[in-house]
Amino acid sequence: MSTAAAPPSAALRSFEAQWRARAPDPLAALRGQAMQRLLALGLPSSRDESWRYTNLRGLAAQTFVEAPRITDPAALRALPQSWLAGAAAAPPIVIVNGYPEPTHAPHGPPQGVEISSLRALPLRDAASLLGRMPPQGDAEQTRWALLNAALFADGLYVRIGAAVAAPVLIVHVAAGGAANATVHSRVIIEAMPGCAATIIEHHIGAGGQPQLCNSATQILLAAESAVEHYRVFATPAATTHFDALDVRQARSSRCRQFTIVLGGGLVRTNLDAHLEEAGALHETYALLAGNDARHVDCVATAVHRAPRTTSRQTARAIAAGTSRVVFNSKVIVEEGAAGADSRQSSRGLLLAPTAEIDTRPQLEIHADDVKCAHGATIGRLDADMLFYLLSRGLDRATAQGLLVYAFLDDVLTGMSSAQARERIEDALIAQLPDAELLRAFR
Amino acid sequence: MPGKPLLKIADLRARVAGKNILNGVDLEVGVGEVHAIMGPNGSGKSTLAQVLAGREDYEVTGGEVIFDGRDLLALRPEERARGGLFLGFQYPVEIPGVNNVYLLKAALNAKRKTAGEPEVDAYEFLALIKQKMKFMQMSESFLTRGVNEGFSGGEKKRNEILQMLVLEPKLALLDETDSGLDIDALKVVAHGVNSLRDGKRSIVLITHYQRLLDYIAPDRVHVFSGGRILKSGDKSLALELERRGYDWLQAVQVA
Repeated sequence: MSTAAAPPSAALRSFEAQWRARAPDPLAALRGQAMQRLLALGLPSSRDESWRYTNLRGLAAQTFVEAPRITDPAALRALPQSWLAGAAAAPPIVIVNGYPEPTHAPHGPPQGVEISSLRALPLRDAASLLGRMPPQGDAEQTRWALLNAALFADGLYVRIGAAVAAPVLIVHVAAGGAANATVHSRVIIEAMPGCAATIIEHHIGAGGQPQLCNSATQILLAAESAVEHYRVFATPAATTHFDALDVRQARSSRCRQFTIVLGGGLVRTNLDAHLEEAGALHETYALLAGNDARHVDCVATAVHRAPRTTSRQTARAIAAGTSRVVFNSKVIVEEGAAGADSRQSSRGLLLAPTAEIDTRPQLEIHADDVKCAHGATIGRLDADMLFYLLSRGLDRATAQGLLVYAFLDDVLTGMSSAQARERIEDALIAQLPDAELLRAFR
Repeated sequence: MPGKPLLKIADLRARVAGKNILNGVDLEVGVGEVHAIMGPNGSGKSTLAQVLAGREDYEVTGGEVIFDGRDLLALRPEERARGGLFLGFQYPVEIPGVNNVYLLKAALNAKRKTAGEPEVDAYEFLALIKQKMKFMQMSESFLTRGVNEGFSGGEKKRNEILQMLVLEPKLALLDETDSGLDIDALKVVAHGVNSLRDGKRSIVLITHYQRLLDYIAPDRVHVFSGGRILKSGDKSLALELERRGYDWLQAVQVA
């Protein structure tokens, strides 16, 4: 057996070329470290535990180019619009191919929320930005986040400095422009002590060309702050998407996170939540819709590092067509996290014999006096429920759609933004059979 | 018997999981009639109800069923329901996440659509439901809950009757609707069933005990055993069964 590292893949070489072509910026040192690390580790493969269901061999053999910055106003206007726009009071903040478009938000964010471009930030204070980037690790789950650190051109810093009621919408548009265009967008959200807001990130895309999105979001919650965060993936089928979300929670902070996959060809999402101080509460809800040939791979990890921390991981996956949905959740209770309380609930619903769902809740406990529960089930539509609805005269497609909808109820009812929920439900229903009939049920 | 029967079952045979359960059922139910099918547990009464409603994992191996002039066995479950057949389940299933009212509205609209009628007006529908709920002595919280979600046994049975009252079927098959009910709930349920008895609608009560028949007087009583009807008579048969038990009849049959 050879221990020598495999030669870098074509994809990795093309990423390295993108990095070398960049003009140095205040983050050059950090970017260099991230790139070198990735070159040494290589892209994740199915030999890596958390990637065993997602084969990237085909992707690794391709080469990728940097998605261009789009400046032509007509081209910007022609880009697809977010169907979540109505969920926010203010116009959305739009990031096109990783570059924030200030012209799209003439009225600015609601009062109490400050938004600046990451590119503007390091000029003022590179150290403060560096301090807010997640530490770089070797973990296979965050391999693509390393690439984002090396290559993100710009992004957003969102500072929550009040208790803000109206949701803030950030729209990531992958505008393509070339085959295998690669977009690395980055968002850093920071909630100041005692402050609260709802932030929605909506990923959409244009065109039928294959493209690669590699996004990363960092959420920092100060003591007693609260953030409700949505990441909604609704890109075209030709899009491959990797997303890394890193959450750090201080004392008695509350984070409620929704990961919603309704689009894309291959979507892999990662969530690392760190409950760093006592009393922190982290809830994550995943709603994963496999349709056609979509491949969804969602990984969520909650690390309890302090006493009396609470985590809830709820995932509902549906799979139709020849889709495959993978959901792996993990709770780690570190030494000293006495009184930790965690609950994992993963359920999968297979809608076609050709679809596949895999789920595995994992638990790692290094402390005493903890309360950890988990449950996982995968099944088909309940025959008794279906017959009951049919026996009341509902046609089969409507009955099935209703049952699917009911299955997802635990996630949908968790959403405190009624406007966001309504739009997400609409988009979800459009993927179910007999969409028009189901709409009448709302 | 005047006119054509609403339901005519001839030599119906069915199998569940490879086992013969119905072994030649013959039954005729006329328009406006109330029939009671009584029999010991495991005699196939519930299977008969499920087969008539169209449960797919029950395999019909022989016989014929004509309902309202149509070949019932050729219809899908939803077509049977829209055609005016209603099954009140012995064990109504809980469907969390599907609202009670939504289901009722969808069911009513499916039936109206088949009849070429327009969809029910939302306001009128709510008024109708509230009126029927009051009649069935059901709490308003029902309106916001999932189908049978967290309902007690008695609430589930009331809900079945409520659905029946809203859908106004031509034929209601009520499978052990009386089981698990206390006497007050039993009266409410019986009251609901009797209110549907207008000479145009037919009802088949499947029951293990004679108790329900104190409140709903049947036109005909049938004793079911071994997957078929052993004996038919008027309501005095139910009283005789109550007095002498099912063993008496089975013994008669063997002899």
